[in-house]
Amino acid sequence: MKKLLVAFAAVLVSLPAFAQKPAVLHLYNWNNYMSDETIKRFEATCACKVKQTYYSDNDELIAKLQAGGTGYDVMVPTMNAVAALIKMNALLPLDPAKIPNLKNVMPQYLNTEFDPGNKYSAPYAMTITLVGYNDKKMKELGITPDSWATIFDPAILAKLKGKVTVMDSQRELMAAALKYRGYSANDVDEKHLMEAKEVILAAKPYWAAFNASSYIKELTVGNIWLAHGFSNDMFQADLDAKAAKRPFRVLPAMPKEGAVLALDAMVIHKSAPRPDLAHQFIDFMLQGQNAADLTNMIGSGNPNQEAQKFIAPELKQIKAIFPDADTAKKLEMLKDLNPKQRRFANRLWTEIKLK
Amino acid sequence: MSTRVQKWILSGPPLLYLLVFFAVPVGIMVLASFRYAGEFGGLAPLFGTGDPDELTGLTLESYQRFFDDRIYLELFAKSFVYAVVTTVACLACAYPLSLMIARSPKKSRDLLVLLVILPFWSNFLIRVYAWMIILGPQSLFTRAFNGLTGAFGLEPMPLLFSPIAVLIGLVYVHLPFMVLPLYANLEKHDPALLDAAQDLGANAWQRFWRITFPLSLPGVYAGAALVFIPALGIFAIPDLLGGTDSMLIGNLVKQQFLDARDWPFGSVLSIVLTAAAILFAGLAAWFGRQKRT
Repeated sequence: MKKLLVAFAAVLVSLPAFAQKPAVLHLYNWNNYMSDETIKRFEATCACKVKQTYYSDNDELIAKLQAGGTGYDVMVPTMNAVAALIKMNALLPLDPAKIPNLKNVMPQYLNTEFDPGNKYSAPYAMTITLVGYNDKKMKELGITPDSWATIFDPAILAKLKGKVTVMDSQRELMAAALKYRGYSANDVDEKHLMEAKEVILAAKPYWAAFNASSYIKELTVGNIWLAHGFSNDMFQADLDAKAAKRPFRVLPAMPKEGAVLALDAMVIHKSAPRPDLAHQFIDFMLQGQNAADLTNMIGSGNPNQEAQKFIAPELKQIKAIFPDADTAKKLEMLKDLNPKQRRFANRLWTEIKLK
Repeated sequence: MSTRVQKWILSGPPLLYLLVFFAVPVGIMVLASFRYAGEFGGLAPLFGTGDPDELTGLTLESYQRFFDDRIYLELFAKSFVYAVVTTVACLACAYPLSLMIARSPKKSRDLLVLLVILPFWSNFLIRVYAWMIILGPQSLFTRAFNGLTGAFGLEPMPLLFSPIAVLIGLVYVHLPFMVLPLYANLEKHDPALLDAAQDLGANAWQRFWRITFPLSLPGVYAGAALVFIPALGIFAIPDLLGGTDSMLIGNLVKQQFLDARDWPFGSVLSIVLTAAAILFAGLAAWFGRQKRT
């Protein structure tokens, strides 16, 4: 009996040791926006686990947080969503003392109108919303996908019927149509938006689907020959196609009319369970080598000066990752809409989806 | 303890559960439908700061928007048609299957029922992704299908990202919900009734149509309600398998809450959807009871 008691006491004493769970950093991230190797390296540094959950659209992220979603430490929204999250009072101010590597970010990406003084956000990576294509099929069909016309002009689409997907995102698709008509991606003139709607409706019968989640796979498999989507997703589709030894490549094409540039930044949620780990993670991701992974492994554009020397030279040739000065001038960051503008845009979007 | 107290104790937990997780959210939804949308989703405050541009207080605007534009009612009609087709297709597939299981030897029945619910052991989305591969343009199935239709001189057609893909997905996902109540009903039929009918000269068709089928109607109604109601509100299947014209009412509701940041309009759509679902569940229950007495 005594032995049993001792054993019981020993178990009781050792219980807290068992109960101590490994520290966990909760990262709420875009699909396909962080390589596993980088995560593993961070886990080794912090002696913690990284748990990722994913979203495919900034509006989805905002909706989840507005509905009371909590438990996230670090999130990676686009700058316009950062501005909205600041207004929502959903973010924890960054402690600059804990993020010395913030100095690695190129000055042109700091102190933007979305977050003056970068009180809340640390720029992380860039993507351009463009067109990804199957090079073999485009050659066969004689299509040069250098313009938004490839997804909007019925004359070109006639050859691609059922082989094109566009993004299932009101802002991104409207921006592409506005750019195609020569307007700004941030145009809120109702007449111009109506014009963009007509452009979309004329092209819609030729599209296979509005697709936000599976176009990487469809491009890789060869089911879809042309997709409107993020530049780093096209990079991923190309890697996958190579790995699967497909007889074609998936290449990004920068539309000559210009496109939407998304600068994504790391922020910390106000109710983050582990703000300490969150700061550590942000600083880690801003180190040159780790930041370079984003370009080398997932094909993101990179706002980090220190990262440049670690980036594979062949990637620096790709215009979709490193736009030249002329192209850069035509890139625009989306701004958040005010409630009235959003209501109008959403009505148009519902009409587009239903007609 | 009196039986009345026992009844209350037994029905208390589920009742409380329904009250908290169904009645209260529906109440919140009804209240939300009369409010303005907040800037970042959620609802605008009831009492404003006095800024004349600010939208505060109560409004019928979201209801007006629903009834002003025919596209929303048309979308309801379309979703209704998809749900009806799904229900009928499920019934057509499930009835012979359930009958077969119910009439098979007793010891193999449990195994057969287990096979019906086996798909539930893997995640719903994984099963839908499997259908994306099966229906993809390069799959054996699609090529065989188009080879077959080609033999009749028809143009090859894409299966994935089409209304057909959505219907296949809807029927596939909901089939077990039709099989189980039907089987539960058919299994209880007294075989002596069929023997008696045969003795009195009824042929196989008459025995089915005048005995088995009428007796199975409560199972049919229960299965139809279990299939029709979720099929009416589903959004994942049209999202994944559907093309540019496959949006259903569930997708619009999801879009209002997740993308459009318009909770009030999303609430109006949900209220109409909930009302339709309650109406059909009520009709099914009523028909089921009529036949039993």
